[in-house]
Amino acid sequence: MSVDAASPLESLTGALVDANDQLLALYDMAAMRTDSLDETESVDQILTTARHALHTDEIVLLADGTDPADCDATYSASVKVEDPSGDTATLHARRSSAPFTTGDTKLLTAVANLAMSAKHTARMHAEAVERAIVSHEHDIASTLVQQTLPSDRPQLPTASLFARSDPARTAGGDLFAFAQLGPKFHFVVGDVSGKGLPAAIMMSNVINAARGCFTHYGHEGPVAVLDAIDAWVYDSLSEADLFVTLIAGQFDSETQMVSLANAGHSPVHFVHDEVATPLAASRPPVGVLEGLRCEQLDIAVASGDRLVIASDGFPEQADESGEMFGDDRFESELTGLHAGARNFGEQLFATIESFAGNAPQSDDRTLFVLDFEGAQ
Amino acid sequence: MNITAATTDDGPLAFVLSGRFDAHEADGFRAAIDPALGATEPHIDIDLSDVEFIDSTALAELVRAMKRCRERSGDLRLLTPSNPVRVILELTRLDAAFTIV
Repeated sequence: MSVDAASPLESLTGALVDANDQLLALYDMAAMRTDSLDETESVDQILTTARHALHTDEIVLLADGTDPADCDATYSASVKVEDPSGDTATLHARRSSAPFTTGDTKLLTAVANLAMSAKHTARMHAEAVERAIVSHEHDIASTLVQQTLPSDRPQLPTASLFARSDPARTAGGDLFAFAQLGPKFHFVVGDVSGKGLPAAIMMSNVINAARGCFTHYGHEGPVAVLDAIDAWVYDSLSEADLFVTLIAGQFDSETQMVSLANAGHSPVHFVHDEVATPLAASRPPVGVLEGLRCEQLDIAVASGDRLVIASDGFPEQADESGEMFGDDRFESELTGLHAGARNFGEQLFATIESFAGNAPQSDDRTLFVLDFEGAQ
Repeated sequence: MNITAATTDDGPLAFVLSGRFDAHEADGFRAAIDPALGATEPHIDIDLSDVEFIDSTALAELVRAMKRCRERSGDLRLLTPSNPVRVILELTRLDAAFTIV
């Protein structure tokens, strides 16, 4: 009797080789996940390796609800998987060489999980890249918009000027602009409601409007300048659901008069004889209602007088315990230190920064100071 | 900030706000009030008697809601603003823009 002893041995050997191939395929697939962050490429690599290891005619990963194309293969197996974000898909494998075993099904499950994980990782990577691009572009835009603020400080004949704005983020809605036209120094200081880039974009619009209005309406006084800015930016402010508190002013070095038109801006103080007097606004901010008129305030200035216009980022700054700096404390800081507007301004910034300590800057901070030296 | 809404039988829709009303609360305020802004002639009352602090972003939200109401021939009234809120409304002269009761 002849015994065919080779068949079981060959069969066993073949099974061991297949198992070893499948194990090596798993190593390859695991390595592939780190080789590529392209969703299609990484999934294709995993499925190609699985196709060879399992001797399939076809192996595809399809979103739920999508059926595989027709195929002449005799045997089929399907494995449903879910990725960490909750997306589901089904791995379809088909072949004619042999039925799928329990071991094959386990390997198919591993392949399906690897492919879904690769898709998820690739998607997260793409989203992270997109966020980084948007963040980078946001930073560039913020920097550019913030540069709309004037960098030069004109030398005034009978006054010294300080102007500085520190946004709470990369860009903010606080603004100032000025122009020296003959003996008159024109200026605006304002605060667009809201924070960040949207407020900053509107801030740049107001600055550009102000520069044009200084030239065309400055000779008519600050009320005309403020009205013209209002007409220029009202619609865009209103569409964006924003408003801007805005004070327009001019200082005439020949007459030693300061004239102001204030649309909802505070704090504004005039310091005379070491007494700081708050100057109230005469109308709501620009962008709230159309056609509002502003009253003009005229002040004769003398040597030693000081005009201080800040934004609410000063009185509303909180310390580490949450207590705000407050209007009274701010007002008490406005007298004394008559070594020029710049020294006074930098000292006031240092005071508020010292008060805040490690507390975050709660809002944009802007300070505009004119120290008057009297007629020459 | 807490926001509670109440409808009176024959009066306007009322929202009662309490706590800090600042930029962090703007989305919540908008979500609460916006459904009421679409009504015909919306009349809305905002009770600010328990609001401890209000910033410019929150003021912009109130202005936005007020303008939406007036566009539809309605109005938004501010009821009994707390002292800190009243001070801000006066400093910005927004007291001249709102109907304050």
